[in-house]
Amino acid sequence: MILFEEVSKVYSDDHIALNSVNFHLKQGEMAFLTGHSGSGKSTLLKLVSLMERPTAGRIVLNGNDISHIKGNDIPYLRRHIGMIFQDHRLLMNRTVLDNVGLPLLIEGYSRFEIKRRSLAALEKVGLSGKEDAFPINLSGGEQQRVGIARAIINQPPLLLADEPTGNLDPKLSLEILTLFESLNKFGMSVLIATHDLGLIAKMRYRTLTLREGHMINDGLLRD
Amino acid sequence: MNNSLGASKRKLSGSPKINKVSFFGRVKATISQHIHQLVHNFMELWKTPFATSMTILVLGLALSLPTVFHVVYKNVDRVGGQWESASEISLFLKKDLSEEQIQVLINKLGLYENIETVTYISRHQALQEFKEMSGFSKALNYLDENPLPAVLIVVPVESAMNSAGTKLLVANLEREQDIDLVRIDIDWIEKLQAIFYLVVDIVIAIATLLLLSVLLIVSNTIRLNILNQRAEIEVLKLVGATNRFIQLPYLYIGAWYGFLGGVIAWLFSTIMVIWLESGVVNLTGLYKAKFEIISLTFNESIMLLFIGALLGLIASFISVKQYLVTIEPK
Repeated sequence: MILFEEVSKVYSDDHIALNSVNFHLKQGEMAFLTGHSGSGKSTLLKLVSLMERPTAGRIVLNGNDISHIKGNDIPYLRRHIGMIFQDHRLLMNRTVLDNVGLPLLIEGYSRFEIKRRSLAALEKVGLSGKEDAFPINLSGGEQQRVGIARAIINQPPLLLADEPTGNLDPKLSLEILTLFESLNKFGMSVLIATHDLGLIAKMRYRTLTLREGHMINDGLLRD
Repeated sequence: MNNSLGASKRKLSGSPKINKVSFFGRVKATISQHIHQLVHNFMELWKTPFATSMTILVLGLALSLPTVFHVVYKNVDRVGGQWESASEISLFLKKDLSEEQIQVLINKLGLYENIETVTYISRHQALQEFKEMSGFSKALNYLDENPLPAVLIVVPVESAMNSAGTKLLVANLEREQDIDLVRIDIDWIEKLQAIFYLVVDIVIAIATLLLLSVLLIVSNTIRLNILNQRAEIEVLKLVGATNRFIQLPYLYIGAWYGFLGGVIAWLFSTIMVIWLESGVVNLTGLYKAKFEIISLTFNESIMLLFIGALLGLIASFISVKQYLVTIEPK
C-alpha cells in the first residue's frame, strides 16, 4: 500500500525532517507511527498525502510512484486516502451531513446517494441523529468522529490519522482506535501517527518509530 | 462493505485519475451541481447584505455610465434621423422677381398639400432685419442696391415632418423656377453633431475605463473571498477536490455580482429616461418637433445583464486562476 525507499525530506530552511526512511505498509495492514515532537511523523504523513514532496527517494502509493506525480493528478490520488486530523479540519459553516458527504460530492455522486451513505457513515461512528448539527455545537470527540466518518465514507483503501486521539480522554481514545481496528478488519490499510505509547501498547500492532528523521524501530513496541 | 472496498482496490492500480461514478452519473451530478451552485451562491451573497449591496451598487454605477451613454447616443442618433425634417424650410427667391410673381408663387405653394404655412419676408424686410442683427446698418447704407433676396419660410404639415416627407417636399420646391435656393436650417445641428462625436470619443474612453473598473472590483472582491475561505479551500483540497471544483462557487459569485450590477445599471438608465422624458417633450415642443425619448429595448436590456454577468465571470476567473492555485493544504 505504502512503500518508502530511501526517502528524505529537507525543508527550505535546511531542516532535515526525514533522513533515508524505508518501510513498507502492506495492503490491509494497520500500523502506528510514533516519535517525539519534531521526529518527522507529520512530515511522513504529509509526504503520503501529497502535501509535501520528497527531496530524495521514492514513494509508491498503491502501485503509483507519487514522488514526481503531476499536480493535476494529486486530487484524484487523495480521493483514495482517508485523512483524519488532530484539529479535525471540518467546515464549521456546513452541517455534519455536508461535511461527511464532501468526498462524495467531489466525486460526483448524486445528492440522494450522498445523503444515504453519509447517514450510514454517521451511524458507523455513533453519530446518528447529529446530521443536521453544525460542528461548532459538537464536543471534541464528536467532531473527531465526524472527521472519521468523512475519511471513510468513500471507502478508501488507506486511512491516515494524525494524532486522532490527541484531544480525547482515554476511554474515547480507545473507542476511536477500536473503530480503526474494525475498519482495518474490512481490508482498509491504517497508519496512525500518535505519541500515546500507552495506547499503542494496548493495541499491539506494528509500530514505526521515528527520531530526528530516522526510522529507529519497525515492529512491535517493547513494553 | 468488503465487496465495495475490494472493487475500490482493483480500480486503484494504474492511473490515479479513476472515478467510481459512471460517466452519465457524473454528467447528471455536474448539471445538478451547477444548478445547486447557481441558487446556493445567490443566497450566499445575501448572508452579508450590506457588503454585497455596496459592491453591487458600485458595479451598477460603473456599468450605468456606459448604459446611460448608450441610451443618450441612441436617442441623439434618432434625432439625427429627424434633422432633415426640420420644422422650417427657407426658400431664397430669385432677385429679379416682381411682387406679383412672388404673390403667384405664394398662392401656388399654398396649394401644396404638404405645406402648412408660407411666410413672406420681402427683400426690404430682410435688409432691415439684417441691419438690426448685424450692427452694420451704417455700412449697409453705402450699398447701391439691396443684396438680400426675398425669402419664403415654409412650414410643412405635421404628416410631412419626417425624413421622407421633407425630402419629397424639398425636391418639389427645388423644381420651382422662381426659387433660387432651398435651405433646411440645419447648420446648428451639424455643429452640434461635430461636438457630439467628439463627446462620443471621450465617453467611449471613460466607459472603457469604467468597464475595466468593474473587472477590478469583482476580481478584488473574489480575491478577498478566496483569502477569507483559505481554511475551507485547504480542507476541500485535502479530501480530493480539484481546482475546477473549488473555483465553481467563486465563478458563480462573480457572475452574480456582474449580473446584479447590470440590473442596477438598467434601473438607473430607466429612471433617467423617465426623469428626462417630460423635459425633452417640452423642449422639442418649442421647436414644433415631435420626439419621444426611448429607453433600452428588451434585447438591449438582456444584453446589458449578459455583459454584466460575463464581466463578473471573467473577473472572478482571473482572480481564481491567480490565487486559488497558490493555496495548498499545510
